[in-house]
Amino acid sequence: MSIVSIRNVSKDYMLGKTVVPALRGVSLEIEKGEFLSLAGPSGSGKTTLLNLVGCVDTPTAGTVVVDGRDTSRLSERALTELRLRTIGFIFQSFNLVQVLSVFQNVEFPLLLQGGLGRRERRDRVLALLDAVGIGSHARHRPSELSGGQRQRVAVARALVTRPALVLADEPTANLDSKTGANLIDLMKEMNRRDGTTFVFSTHDPKVMSHASAIVRIADGQLVGREAVGGDAAAAEGR
Amino acid sequence: MSARTDALRVLLRIAFRNLAAARVRTAIIGAIVLGGAFLVVLGSSLMDSIDRGMRTSIQGSLGGQLQVYSAASKDPLELYGGLRGEPQLEPIEDFSRVKEVLSRVPNVKAVVPMGIDQAMVATGNVIDVALERLRADVRRLEEGDRSPEALRGYEARKAHVRRLVGLLRDELGQALAIVDLEGREAEERRREWADLTNAASDGFWAGFDGDRYGHLELLENRIARLSMDGSFTFIRYVGTDPDAFFRAFELAQVAKGEMIPKGHRGILVGKQYAEEWLKLKNARRLDLIKDARDRRGRRLADAKDEELQRWVRENQRGTKDILQQLDPLQAEEAARRLRAALGSEAAGEDLPALLARLFRVDDANFDARYRIFYDQLAPLLRLYLIDVGDTITIKAPAKSGYFNSVNVKVYGFIQFRQIERSGIAGMTSVLDLLSFRDLYGYMTKERAAEIARLKGAVGAKELAREDAEAALFGGGGPLEGRAATARIDERSLLEGARAPGPAQDPAARTYTQEELDRGVALNAALVLHDPAKLEATRRDVQAAADRAGLGLRVVDWHAASGVVGQFVTTLRIVLYVSLLVFFGVALVIVNNAMVMATLQRVTEIGTMRAIGAQRRFVLVMLLVETATVGLAFGLAGAALGGAAVWLVRAAGGIPATNDMLNFLFAGPALRPVLGGASVVVSLVIVVVVSVLSGLYPALLAMRVTPVEAMATED
Repeated sequence: MSIVSIRNVSKDYMLGKTVVPALRGVSLEIEKGEFLSLAGPSGSGKTTLLNLVGCVDTPTAGTVVVDGRDTSRLSERALTELRLRTIGFIFQSFNLVQVLSVFQNVEFPLLLQGGLGRRERRDRVLALLDAVGIGSHARHRPSELSGGQRQRVAVARALVTRPALVLADEPTANLDSKTGANLIDLMKEMNRRDGTTFVFSTHDPKVMSHASAIVRIADGQLVGREAVGGDAAAAEGR
Repeated sequence: MSARTDALRVLLRIAFRNLAAARVRTAIIGAIVLGGAFLVVLGSSLMDSIDRGMRTSIQGSLGGQLQVYSAASKDPLELYGGLRGEPQLEPIEDFSRVKEVLSRVPNVKAVVPMGIDQAMVATGNVIDVALERLRADVRRLEEGDRSPEALRGYEARKAHVRRLVGLLRDELGQALAIVDLEGREAEERRREWADLTNAASDGFWAGFDGDRYGHLELLENRIARLSMDGSFTFIRYVGTDPDAFFRAFELAQVAKGEMIPKGHRGILVGKQYAEEWLKLKNARRLDLIKDARDRRGRRLADAKDEELQRWVRENQRGTKDILQQLDPLQAEEAARRLRAALGSEAAGEDLPALLARLFRVDDANFDARYRIFYDQLAPLLRLYLIDVGDTITIKAPAKSGYFNSVNVKVYGFIQFRQIERSGIAGMTSVLDLLSFRDLYGYMTKERAAEIARLKGAVGAKELAREDAEAALFGGGGPLEGRAATARIDERSLLEGARAPGPAQDPAARTYTQEELDRGVALNAALVLHDPAKLEATRRDVQAAADRAGLGLRVVDWHAASGVVGQFVTTLRIVLYVSLLVFFGVALVIVNNAMVMATLQRVTEIGTMRAIGAQRRFVLVMLLVETATVGLAFGLAGAALGGAAVWLVRAAGGIPATNDMLNFLFAGPALRPVLGGASVVVSLVIVVVVSVLSGLYPALLAMRVTPVEAMATED
């Protein structure tokens, strides 16, 4: 069963008065539990596709259905709500709130959601911090952490609401290769543990090799989808 | 619910930490907000205090809460005089009607009739005083008292007068040199000069004992009037019902002497006026120096304090007034006392040298010298040109155009508590209303009716007689009239007895409340039971006056105070405009700073939006931030303002360095009171300004899309 269903999607940007097509007639199904890598050179449309999947943008043509809902029919408000409930984000440059501690950064989406009591939130955040390996840094500020540690916090923040789908745009681009590999391992572990669907973009072949499948994009079009021996690749990466 | 409060808490946390993170920005915005709150609290506290002071001063001294005057008046009522002198008011013909109608209006406690004007008052001069004493001696001698003491006093007084006449001759000799003796009054001048030369001659004094009264008469009638020195001064008075006045104006008190007895004519001279215009200049300057030292902390050693230096200099040089006042016996006594008080250095000095020494003051000896002056010297002197017990002649141009004059007894000095030093309230003297009417030449209803009747029937002859009388009384021979009156005044002062003859004794002419009420007044002060209901009562009074056809204009104390009231309004406008400009500038600066800060946080805001924060959340987040700055620094600023107010109070307040300030402050210093309202208002203002200045950047932030959080690929 697909968590994301993209059908014949096009996305144009306006650059002054010129129309710049970013995606042209893309169709893609993403299954639950997948660990999917979007690959392609810079400017190929990876980020645009992620934005559409992540409900931060809507297509010019075609439909994007996320968790059973057609995003083009949703209001800005409803899209925000959908992101809050269903999707987790990991950013290239971590994008932690600098003035909040590690704990508070991870807790933040839960506060936006509301509903959980303080104790439950605390337990969940601390468990997750332990799971991503930075439980001992809960009280630190992001500026006191290394890049790899920060991205782990970002992973924890993306996962804390237990989303069905986690999107990561070039999550390892600002990390050295070893740290990057460790992060992918972590994401993979989380993918295995909770069955969370991960979609990440990268142009690093080593990172790609960890994916369960690779979708290649070039010039705004899907050029291929290949399955990867995920476990083997993961073992190789270690 | 709890998550909601937790969300709010995280908002506050983000706000606080962002503020803490951007210290410089926060410090700048904070300083502006703090300064604003400080200014609002301090400024409005001062303004409120001035306002209260003004209200106390005006309501308590002349104004009451409301004033009524004839609607037919050309000028608006100005209780303290306008920039162009006293306003021209049409008279209220019959005050008793006004009193009757307006007293019945609810909330009106008292209706006090008034007629405010300026007049000239004869103050007498040194020669008058000396002649008065000499006449007393002459009388004793003529009555047969030949005691050595009486003879000694007589000779001393005679020598005194002779010296004064000599001085007068010198003075006029100089004046004569520059006067055109070919003019119309040349003959008169020549005769005066001849008289004076005669009176100063040895022959005149050699023959004095031969015909004492004859010689005295000549001196009194022909010589004394030549002395222009201190012959008259201006006085500002309110003609009123003295009893009603004192009942209505609780600040009023008799500073010296006694209240004008009920039904009697009399005047209470403004204490401050007396101090400034009637007091012996040397004494006045000593008082000023004392005040400067005691209350303002000024020091004589301060060479840059030119005013103080000048007072000291003038006191040493200007001892003529004192020397002229003393006859040889008194001068001897004064010298003896001063020698004793001033110590061994002064042993061989004569009186002029002793006086110069007395007034040569410095910080070390001032208090001692001040005491010596008042304890030793002052009892021998006449300190005020007009003093309690005197009967004075007041002259003013009447409506008819002639000068009218009345003689009234000075029963005391009047001052207003708390604003004793006020040059505005304290300059006004209180006169009985009947004397005011005489001065103004207003006719009572009866007289007016009689004249109208006569005019209709016979007319010209009777009227002419009226006019002639007025002309004789007011306009004819003013100099002689005044000199004669002054002579009687001084005797009543010196002997503590009234001048003989009931016809000339103003104190003997009494009046009833009926007479007082039924007649002309220029305006009336209304004192209310509940001053808070001022505006409502003003409307009621106006309505009642209109119904009764009184033709009155009703204004509140503020409007009635004229320029004085406008001054406070101006102050307030200046304060508000400056605050407005300040907050306008603050708005721009804070807005700019917050826009910059928001632009720096686009990624963070985009991230929050991507994670699932609604637009409203972002808006609130940024507004909370500016509101937090506003509130935190606003509180600090208000506290600082409060502290400043408290400090100013603790330090004794802002001293009223001049009369105007004294009046405004309703006392010698403005002791501001921190108003709870001003604190609340200041907080509301700074928070509103902060939020307003944060609104635009917050709206900008709200438009940040989650896409901004995504890394661009290129």
